[in-house]
Amino acid sequence: MEETISLKEIYETLKKRLLLILSITVSAIVISALLSYFVLTPIYQASSQFLVNQEKSESDFQYNVNDIRSSVELINTYNVIIKSPVILDQVIERLNVDMTVNALQSKVTVNSEQNSQVVNIVVQDPNPELAVDLSNTIVQVFQSTVPDLMNVNNVHILTEAKYSPNPSPIKPKPTLNIAIAMVLGLMVGVGLAFLLEYLDNTVKTEDDVEKKLGLPVLGVVSSIEDGDYRPSAKGKKIPVIEKRGGTFEA
Amino acid sequence: MRRSRKQKKDKSSRTLVSHINKKSPISEQYRSVRTNIQFSAVDEDLQTIVVTSAGPGEGKSITSANVGVVFAQQEKKVLLVDTDLRKPTVHYTFRVENISGLTNYLIGDQSFEHIITETKVPNMDVITCGPIPPNPSEILSSKRMEQFIQTAKEHYDLIIFDTPPVLAVTDSTIVSNLCDGVLLVIRSKKTEFEAAQKAKDQLEHVNAKMLGVVLNDREQKESNYYYYYGNR
Repeated sequence: MEETISLKEIYETLKKRLLLILSITVSAIVISALLSYFVLTPIYQASSQFLVNQEKSESDFQYNVNDIRSSVELINTYNVIIKSPVILDQVIERLNVDMTVNALQSKVTVNSEQNSQVVNIVVQDPNPELAVDLSNTIVQVFQSTVPDLMNVNNVHILTEAKYSPNPSPIKPKPTLNIAIAMVLGLMVGVGLAFLLEYLDNTVKTEDDVEKKLGLPVLGVVSSIEDGDYRPSAKGKKIPVIEKRGGTFEA
Repeated sequence: MRRSRKQKKDKSSRTLVSHINKKSPISEQYRSVRTNIQFSAVDEDLQTIVVTSAGPGEGKSITSANVGVVFAQQEKKVLLVDTDLRKPTVHYTFRVENISGLTNYLIGDQSFEHIITETKVPNMDVITCGPIPPNPSEILSSKRMEQFIQTAKEHYDLIIFDTPPVLAVTDSTIVSNLCDGVLLVIRSKKTEFEAAQKAKDQLEHVNAKMLGVVLNDREQKESNYYYYYGNR
């Protein structure tokens, strides 16, 4: 059976189920707002930066491209070292926090810009102060441990994470969540509307009868409402001439 | 208070829109059904019509009563027969007594003239169901039923049979086999395609002549032009 859906039918379907679509969307928005404002713990972020630079002899004052490249490659190694228990164990010890290495590892992100010697250490934690402390301590511990490990002293702290008086959480982001929920709610609502329309296999219009049943429609009778029983629209009685053949009326 | 109670009491007779309010759009719609029935059988003699539907509660009784009324308004002598021997309703619609009726005739209890009940609608008589029998299908397929239809044809211009749903019981197929045409009532948003198709197949299987469909309870739209003429 060939089926085509006209734009008008789509519009009719959507209009018919507008309430359903809207209620799903609104409830999705409300749920996501409730979740992001009351249920999800806000996570704060702190970051500190350090610079990796090869120590140079005084005479060789010019920047060497090779030096920079080797520093960049060194950074890849550092990234792994920072997240290793060698550093993190010391951090936990120094700050005296109740945390496993794995838990700390999951909070720390180390990244460096492509081909740059600057490395970012980003720490996310529900406690904003702890996040600052952690990121700073990691850099400090790293700086002091690197010479032992690598026999070089080329790590310079660039920026330290700072406490801010009223930190704003980086997640959850309520507006983003609400926007996502709205779009999802709309999609689910529209999908459901079309699904219901598809599953509804009742006869609705004259066209349905003629096309699908192949029977002629002799007449359409609309829903009978209370007003249809009143003899006239204004409730005043129409004088009926008592005569056979009821269509003759005054 | 009193008024609302009265209205509630009136509910059963309210289905006769085309009699109570001849000018209402609904009556106009029934009149167009009448016209279409007349046109659907130009050359044939269309004297007996069966009104049925696929399932229960789709508006058979209301349709048969109102179609009967609009035919009667055309000065035709109309007889409405309650052939629903399981759940008779015609006596409620016309507010008449159901002491003796079709079943009394079919079992040879009473004569044709005895079971006819006159209604307030001019030109229109009804035959109620009578006592509900234990074997409706057997009674309706009896020789006596054929005899009944013959007798009725002699007295009336049009005989309308209000029957049970097609898919539930076999009664309406039996009756439609004896009659000139079948009117299938379909209720908008309630009757399913499969049910309507099955009903159609069953009726065609017994060689009943399908006159067509009356689409009932169709949603009203503002643009409905009947309303323009009906109310202003």
